Amino acid sequence: MSWLLILLPLLGSFVIIVSPGRLAKQLALVTSLVVLGVSVAAAFVFDGWGRGTWELTSSVEWVKEWGLVLQVGADSVSLILVLLTTFLMPLAILGSFNAIKSRTKEYYGWLLGLQAAMTGVFLAQDLVLFYVCFEFTLVPMFFIIAIWGSKNRAHASVKFLIYTFTGSLITLAGFLTLAWSYAQANGGDWSFEISALTNHAVSALSLHEQAWLLLALLIGFGVKVPLFPVHTWLPLAHTEAPTAGSVVLAGVLLKLGTYGLYRFVLPMCPEAVVEWAPFVAILSIIGILYAALICWVQTDVKKLIAYSSVSHLGFCVLGLFALNPMGVEGSILYMINHGLSTGALFFLIGMMYERYHTRDMGELGGLARTMPIWATFMVFFVLASVGLPGLNGFVSEFLCLIATFTAGGSGAYPGVLGPWYAAIAALGMVLAAMYLLIMVGKVVFGPTKATLRHDEQSGLPVDLTVREITVLVPLAVGCIVLGIQPDLIIDNTATAVADTLAVYQDIFEESMPGAAAFVDTSLPGGAR
Amino acid sequence: MIDVTLQLARIVQAMPPVPASEVLHVSGQWWIGFILWCPLISLVLCGLCAACRVKSKLPAWITVFSLAISFVLTLLLAFMDTPPERVELFKWINVHWDGGSFVANFAFYIDSLTILWMSFVTGLGALIALYASEYMEPDVGRGYARFFAGISAFLFAMICLVMGDNLLMLYLGWEGVGFASYWLIGYYYQKPEAVAAAKKAFIVNRIGDLGLALAIYLIWSTFGTIQYNELITVLDAGTYLPVYENWSVQAIPYLLMLAAFGKSAQLPLYVWLPDAMEGPTPVSALIHAATMVTAGVYLIARMYPFFLLAPESLHVVAWVGGLTALLAATIGMAQYDIKRIFAYSTISQLGYMFLGLGVLTTYGAAYHVFTHAFFKAVLFLTCGAIMHGFAGQLDLRKISGLRRMKGWRIVSWTMFIGCLCLAGFPLTSGYFSKDAILAEAFVSQGPGFEVLGWMAIFTAFLTAYYTFRVWCRVCAGEVRCEPGDEHHGDDHDAGTHGGEFHPHAPRFAINIVLLLIAAGALLAAVPYFMGNEVEHVAGGWVADMVHDSTAAEGVPGHPEHPASALHGAEAHHGSILGMDPHVAMYWISACVGGLGLLLAFWLHLWRRQDADRLRSWLLSRFWTRWLPVAMENKWYVDEVYHAFIRAPLWLFGHIFYAIDRYIIDGLFVDGTARLPRLLARCFQPLQNGMLQSYAVTMAGGAVLIALLMLLMLQFFTGGAVS
Amino acid sequence: MTFQIASEFTQVSLAHFIIFSALLFVVGLVGFFTRRNLIVMFLCTELMFQAALVAFVAFGRYWFNYSGQVFVIFILTVAAAEAALALALVVLLHRRRGSLNADDWKELHEG
Repeated sequence: MSWLLILLPLLGSFVIIVSPGRLAKQLALVTSLVVLGVSVAAAFVFDGWGRGTWELTSSVEWVKEWGLVLQVGADSVSLILVLLTTFLMPLAILGSFNAIKSRTKEYYGWLLGLQAAMTGVFLAQDLVLFYVCFEFTLVPMFFIIAIWGSKNRAHASVKFLIYTFTGSLITLAGFLTLAWSYAQANGGDWSFEISALTNHAVSALSLHEQAWLLLALLIGFGVKVPLFPVHTWLPLAHTEAPTAGSVVLAGVLLKLGTYGLYRFVLPMCPEAVVEWAPFVAILSIIGILYAALICWVQTDVKKLIAYSSVSHLGFCVLGLFALNPMGVEGSILYMINHGLSTGALFFLIGMMYERYHTRDMGELGGLARTMPIWATFMVFFVLASVGLPGLNGFVSEFLCLIATFTAGGSGAYPGVLGPWYAAIAALGMVLAAMYLLIMVGKVVFGPTKATLRHDEQSGLPVDLTVREITVLVPLAVGCIVLGIQPDLIIDNTATAVADTLAVYQDIFEESMPGAAAFVDTSLPGGAR
Repeated sequence: MIDVTLQLARIVQAMPPVPASEVLHVSGQWWIGFILWCPLISLVLCGLCAACRVKSKLPAWITVFSLAISFVLTLLLAFMDTPPERVELFKWINVHWDGGSFVANFAFYIDSLTILWMSFVTGLGALIALYASEYMEPDVGRGYARFFAGISAFLFAMICLVMGDNLLMLYLGWEGVGFASYWLIGYYYQKPEAVAAAKKAFIVNRIGDLGLALAIYLIWSTFGTIQYNELITVLDAGTYLPVYENWSVQAIPYLLMLAAFGKSAQLPLYVWLPDAMEGPTPVSALIHAATMVTAGVYLIARMYPFFLLAPESLHVVAWVGGLTALLAATIGMAQYDIKRIFAYSTISQLGYMFLGLGVLTTYGAAYHVFTHAFFKAVLFLTCGAIMHGFAGQLDLRKISGLRRMKGWRIVSWTMFIGCLCLAGFPLTSGYFSKDAILAEAFVSQGPGFEVLGWMAIFTAFLTAYYTFRVWCRVCAGEVRCEPGDEHHGDDHDAGTHGGEFHPHAPRFAINIVLLLIAAGALLAAVPYFMGNEVEHVAGGWVADMVHDSTAAEGVPGHPEHPASALHGAEAHHGSILGMDPHVAMYWISACVGGLGLLLAFWLHLWRRQDADRLRSWLLSRFWTRWLPVAMENKWYVDEVYHAFIRAPLWLFGHIFYAIDRYIIDGLFVDGTARLPRLLARCFQPLQNGMLQSYAVTMAGGAVLIALLMLLMLQFFTGGAVS
Repeated sequence: MTFQIASEFTQVSLAHFIIFSALLFVVGLVGFFTRRNLIVMFLCTELMFQAALVAFVAFGRYWFNYSGQVFVIFILTVAAAEAALALALVVLLHRRRGSLNADDWKELHEG
């Protein structure tokens, strides 16, 4: 089933390339819907909900002597991210029906290829498959930006490719060193299995070696997330990419970075993480505030949302490095929630752009009068993004921050962050309200600008079509459902998260005697 | 420290079984949930109406009906007179891990404080929705459904806020009412001022929300729970824990205070409330006068045990409240827009409530909230009726003699009742509730509380003056009116027929609601004389209600704890001018109120020219000129905020953006990318495209390699080549 | 490693072949460098090829190892195929520009 999830989109992509171009979009939609069906079926078959085990596993031997065995499988966290991918993809395809008019065959082919690669990343259980898929996501995205992007697309696509590729090369170096060290310890038997390497890294590497591994992984995944100060590819790529490209980029591709942090960095180099978590947390906090202030002065709506991604993902990383269950749960929720709400915002901006051919806040205004349905959705998703309680964004943001707050360094909730980290990061909440509402105030509300002309040639009515509403409604439903029933994700991933964090419990117990980890209550920093 | 931790932990862990059976009985009353679900259903239905473009008053009737059901259910709940109880609706956020958990569910915590608040929230909500059904008439088929959906959303959030069983539920309501207020202030979204005001309200509130969020983090990380019943059990456990001295417990009330000041428009976060008057008037009445803005008072009353752990925080609350009351009253004196005057008076009255909380009379604060909800709703609703009838005219210099106009009698006399209550005229509801606070300022002991008390009395004088300034100008005097230039609403055709202006008088719905709420405002004095089951607490029914709740002044019984000492001060009755403060206050505030009233009648009814003369006299003197100017310009607080907060942040935004583009991206990223390119430039001349030069290079290279090999061979073999 | 050079010029030794091959190669090389005509340049590369072939044959004979001869056959075949291709290319190029001058074709230059 796991292989099916990876290979089906690939197959679909080939079928699209060989079949006539006018069928491309229908074929792509059908393929992605079938894949969605398969993934939902997989979710029902899946036995690992709430159990933390790896299910749906399967392996293919490639070159056995070199330890090259391709293995796939899913635990609850991966499967949830796969579901996010398969859920967003049909919407992304449906959303580009009108926007993409040239070279449709290639476009949908690349999109499905991208889906295959992203699914592969989440399902890979060995480093080779993981890395191949991780890198392969760049290729379709490169072409999607370079061919169907807007004005500055050539520069953006090249920068995106080279920047993230350079980052992940360093990660590859880290992985290879780890595998080499494993082979050394096991008498020359190579293995790239993630679990084997994780065990090896935890048990055999010294703190010094772990720190280097941490650095190598952090560079690659940090570029992808993106963490301050390696974020500058993102606004450019987002602004230039076509709508569906931005949606997938924000919705799933960025999550490859945080998923990498969760899957590799946290389990593989725990001691180094404990040592360096404050550093990473400070980078994320800088990112949160810095990007939020930059958002404030943007005039291009799409760029504003792009920078807001940098700010939002800062919370996600902060939650991970709080190193306690609430933070990691919050972070996983954040990955999903950001995918839904920011993805939807990119869709909305795309829909507006198709009609007015501008994204400049100075030229837009009063769209609530002309496009009430669009405006309703816009305000809704902005609020989800701002973190209005009852919608999805709030739960994850709250969990990340409270986890950071309580990770006070001593006492009952061990960790290396503390109240100050959370207090400063929480300023990001205020700033988010500020820049997003200013944007809404300028674009959605206010007097309707007389200069704003709806493009008749776009073939679209003034307000949203049924197709466009169909794209947005599932996302809105997702926002509400996850807002009031986050347990759907929290309960099901709790054990997996606890297993990942078990190693930290040991470390904290060792380094802070008297503090029974995650057991009873105390004051943050009280015993210092 | 560790043992403190363990001690606390033990209490928290040992907590649920014992008290849950005693204090808490989990109700099986299935219908309680419908208090919350009714507005939600109404929200959904109104949303559907908006989507289907319903062109009738259907949304209004849906809303009024469902809010009325909520109100009836609330009354039912009140008459059941149950002990504090929890009602679980469904699970919300639950994170469990090995030995710990974070639990925040959709659940109600119902005690008498909840019921007190709920009674006027749902009651006034239903009545004001009824009023709005007529007021918003011009928008039927356009924003009508959107408006009532907003009202329903507001009630839903407010009920979550008041009835929630944990702090996160409160937070949900807290932000929810903020959002509903954003929605409704920005109702006329084509007006830039309305949009700006809505944005400002949400953002300023967000600053307060930040405080609430941090307080929640702190409470959870200290006590391991955010559910009221568990928290109260810990705090009422009767043991004073040394851990309470810790900064993390001491900081909690200050953070909660920030939240309360944001929502209830106190210094320094009050600036959003006057601007919020851009919204339709029923919204101002419901949200920005009667209910939402009192959420801050509710929060502090609900979390009162935490404040008692850090008594200094209550002094801050008292002083902020007192200063806000005075400042807002001075601004209110100098405004000309009726609605804004009442907005400032709301801020001022909220200041009284905080003063009450600060001087240890939660009862006085709660009672003032209760009475204020009624009389301020009346005042705003009469304002709305005037605005409705005079095409948006709100300038008190341009309307006069309303009570002699046809069809306006109910409006002017209900306004008179509202004004009497607000001014604290003897035997009206406002008189009793305000006295309860003022007297306590002299009873309680705190830094400068006596000064604060006199300041509050002076403010009461100002209140009486500016209130009747409005009434005398608008309702009394010669009959005269000018229509406003804008039509309330976007662009409906107001009553200008053929060049001559005819104000259209309010009809049935508005009049009946005005009468009902005015009656409520008068009857709000009755609870003062009824009930009083609890001994030694004066003040009737409201005092009973407060006494049964978390706001009762219960303190962990540690003898050395400062809060206990403070609490004990209640036994020591202070005095004012050698009399018992409670008795003295009846006379003093009656005199003060009467004086203010007379002054207003003199300057604004009998000899209106004297008011202008006074103003020009003040303006002509160098030493006094600043007073009216500063008051009319609201003490320049907005400008100060703009210059010291907004502008620097905005500047930082630009600086960061420049750094991002030119330094991080330009210098580091592109600079790094440029290095290999520079290197390549060095060898570029070789790439000249000429076939033969390539060949020469190749040959040269081959020769070089051969030479190198020869050299190396010689080097390694010691020259033994031949 | 050393190899014998005949003391008298009575016998054709390996050295003669090597020297001949080297001369042939140099002639081809210099021709390639100096001439501009594409066909002549191509012929010069052929000359260099032949120089290598001579060396192959000579060494093969010297070591009594016939892979040298085998290589010659190989290379001759490849050279023939290559000649056909190269001449076809040259003809195409001539059609494009009407000239056989190598300097007319320098699209690959940078900057």
